[in-house]
Amino acid sequence: MNPTRGGWVILLTIVLAMLLAVVHLPADAPVWLGWLRPSWLVLVVFYWVMALPQRFGMISAWITGLLVDALYADPLGVNGFCLAALTYVTWSFYERFRMYSVAQQGVVVFLLVLGTEIVRMCAQWLSRDGTLSFWVFVPAVASTVAWPLVATVLRRVRLQFSVE
Amino acid sequence: MALAIVSSLLLTIDVNSRLLQPMRSVLATIVSPIYIIAESPYQVSREARATLSTRESLTAENAKLEQRNLELSTVAQQFVALREENTRLRQLLGSRRRLGAEVLVAELIGVVPSPNTYQVEIDKGAEDGVFIGQAVIDAEGLFGQVVEVARFSSRVMLVIDAAHAVPVQVNRNDFRSIAAGTGRTDRLELEYVPVTADIRVGDLLVTSGLGGHFPRGYPVGEVTAVVVDPTMTYAQVTAKPSAALDRSRHVLLVYYAKTEPPKQDEPAPAEPAAEDPK
Repeated sequence: MNPTRGGWVILLTIVLAMLLAVVHLPADAPVWLGWLRPSWLVLVVFYWVMALPQRFGMISAWITGLLVDALYADPLGVNGFCLAALTYVTWSFYERFRMYSVAQQGVVVFLLVLGTEIVRMCAQWLSRDGTLSFWVFVPAVASTVAWPLVATVLRRVRLQFSVE
Repeated sequence: MALAIVSSLLLTIDVNSRLLQPMRSVLATIVSPIYIIAESPYQVSREARATLSTRESLTAENAKLEQRNLELSTVAQQFVALREENTRLRQLLGSRRRLGAEVLVAELIGVVPSPNTYQVEIDKGAEDGVFIGQAVIDAEGLFGQVVEVARFSSRVMLVIDAAHAVPVQVNRNDFRSIAAGTGRTDRLELEYVPVTADIRVGDLLVTSGLGGHFPRGYPVGEVTAVVVDPTMTYAQVTAKPSAALDRSRHVLLVYYAKTEPPKQDEPAPAEPAAEDPK
């Protein structure tokens, strides 16, 4: 069997996650809604590393992160670092994470997103006059809430296109 | 581990210098289609609304625009006369006539989705001659400046971004200051205003052209509050941005710094003025 099947599916889901990450709300939506956006990319990368650790490695995560830097106008390297670190953590424990229930995975997602958001905030704070605030918890919570949905959808996609 | 080192290296270089700008624009060119796709539903709905709009609404809009046109042309007539007068007076003073600024219309194609940064993506890039630091205005006033240029798109930092500051002067008395963004949508702050400065609520702030980035004389904001605390060194002056930062769909890129650097403009009037009483 071809060991590199369905690579385009992984790529497509990542592009979709980027799309979801930049879609903006209608102009009259309140500002705080912007904070409720889950970190789609973290969720998608986390899923693929957990499900197919041999397919999605740290280099791919890092390159994805670089593109995200350009997308978010973050200092170059921040998201690369975050996603690579996330991949490393997931890679080390993927067998355990797979055994977890969706709720337990949600807790893991919460911690991972919180970590990446804190790193991002610190980098922004260093590079310009960004502020440190407790708002970073909100994307983490939103991501946890979105996780069951993302996991289900990606699982269906993985089985449907038999990505291996 | 190696990736962590590379990341922190990149981060340090990027934060402290402009060396990585080429790399940044390559990456930005790769991801700019994502912004375009993300914007497309709004684009489609706008197109649909334009196509499906009724005859009445078009007539009403037409009437409104005609009225507006009339008002503006009245102002423009005065403007022509004033410009002539200004040119004559400047010639009397011996200073060079100011060049009019060239503009290029650009359309917003996306908003950078981070609640802490105020940047937008526009549909003109290096191919159209956009350059970093270029001033961007909209119909109402100064919008921001270009911070990143990709091939077919570029990114504009709004005047309200906490990392943005622009040299301004009060239109009434030419008092100079710096208007810094606060990271809040309706607020600019004037920095280093002495408590004795003559500045009042309602004063119009315009770009002063000092510093060379921004052309002179575009409205930046209107002073909304002046708090003078005698125990402080500086007065706290806040202003409301003139530009329709959250509503403008089209912005203008100003080609000015390349045509006439304002630095040369400043000393010019001073010298001839000194010679004048002969």
